[in-house]
Amino acid sequence: MSKDYSFVQTFDPVRKLQYVNDDPSVMHCHHFATLYTKLAVDMKDIRGPELMREAMEESFYIVLKKAFIVRGTMSKEEKIKIAEEHFRLCGLGKARFSVGETGGNVELSHSHLDEGWIKKWQRQPEPVNFMGQGYIAAAFSLINGKSLRSYQVKETQSIVSGAPTSKFTVTLKEEA
Amino acid sequence: MAINRKVAIEQLSQIKVKGNQDGLIPAFGVLIQFLPTNFWNSFTEKMLKSVDQSKIDDVEKGLENAAAECGYHTGWGIINSEEFRAVISPMVEKAPEDILHGAFAVLSAWGWADSEITELIPGSRMVVCAYGYYEAEIEDTYNSGRPVAFMLKGICRAFMDIAYGPAYPKGLNTFTCKQTKGLELGDRFGEFIVSKR
Repeated sequence: MSKDYSFVQTFDPVRKLQYVNDDPSVMHCHHFATLYTKLAVDMKDIRGPELMREAMEESFYIVLKKAFIVRGTMSKEEKIKIAEEHFRLCGLGKARFSVGETGGNVELSHSHLDEGWIKKWQRQPEPVNFMGQGYIAAAFSLINGKSLRSYQVKETQSIVSGAPTSKFTVTLKEEA
Repeated sequence: MAINRKVAIEQLSQIKVKGNQDGLIPAFGVLIQFLPTNFWNSFTEKMLKSVDQSKIDDVEKGLENAAAECGYHTGWGIINSEEFRAVISPMVEKAPEDILHGAFAVLSAWGWADSEITELIPGSRMVVCAYGYYEAEIEDTYNSGRPVAFMLKGICRAFMDIAYGPAYPKGLNTFTCKQTKGLELGDRFGEFIVSKR
């Protein structure tokens, strides 16, 4: 089976649903994503940012797991490529993953959330890309054959704060 | 109504989007992302389950306002786009009413909600019926006991803002929306009533 990644968009005319690779999916804009993120920030007392990260990690654990399974046995590099490609094709930004079993790093040269935030408001000092953090956590778990919520992600540099790229360090939780 | 919904949905639903070389999707004057519906529903559910009753209004308003701003700005971009002009504009006999009907064809074509306007008093009141919407899937894991289609509420009032509010970008929040029925509540369809504030 070819290991090239395809991002297939289809429409169910009966249910009126869009799908990406058989997952019901929906397009939203940066206004929507940044305002949901701002709501998460405003609700820090109920762990709003963590809840957003968790929702994203759970969702993409399923999406990426299916993407890996349908392609059969793959090398770690092939799985990384798929994680990077899906991140790019779904419009979240441009990511480069460096993955070891106990953790690693991710760098974004572009970010929907960060650039959307700046477009809508202005720069801000604290990271806001909880969605990106959740995606990265899911990807690391699957690339390393581990269960959901195995990795902790910390954003150490952010485009939203004025940095040229966003950077994340990823750590296996039992090691953290 | 001059808008042929079936044709409009068939054509609009074929528009494909995906990230460019930078992983961004610039379209309709905004940046777009294309994510699983269960992410948005899961976040909503987690927030509603976690929040204290005294702050639940803040969460619900926040979710609705996000959709209202999205519907207003992106909706404006969509109805002024080449794609909308190519498919909907040739069908328009009366503006802004037919443009409003066209906007709900977009909503159906792009997987937000299979919905249509069932009553429209220009400038005053609109009733929208939604026969399927991704927000209703929240009922699989969350029995809310109340309407929770905040995205659709926001979108409905935003589209009325575009049609009958002050000229863009000053019309946001001219109208308000109440959800009176919901698939997530076991009703046969969701019902959204928009009126002037």
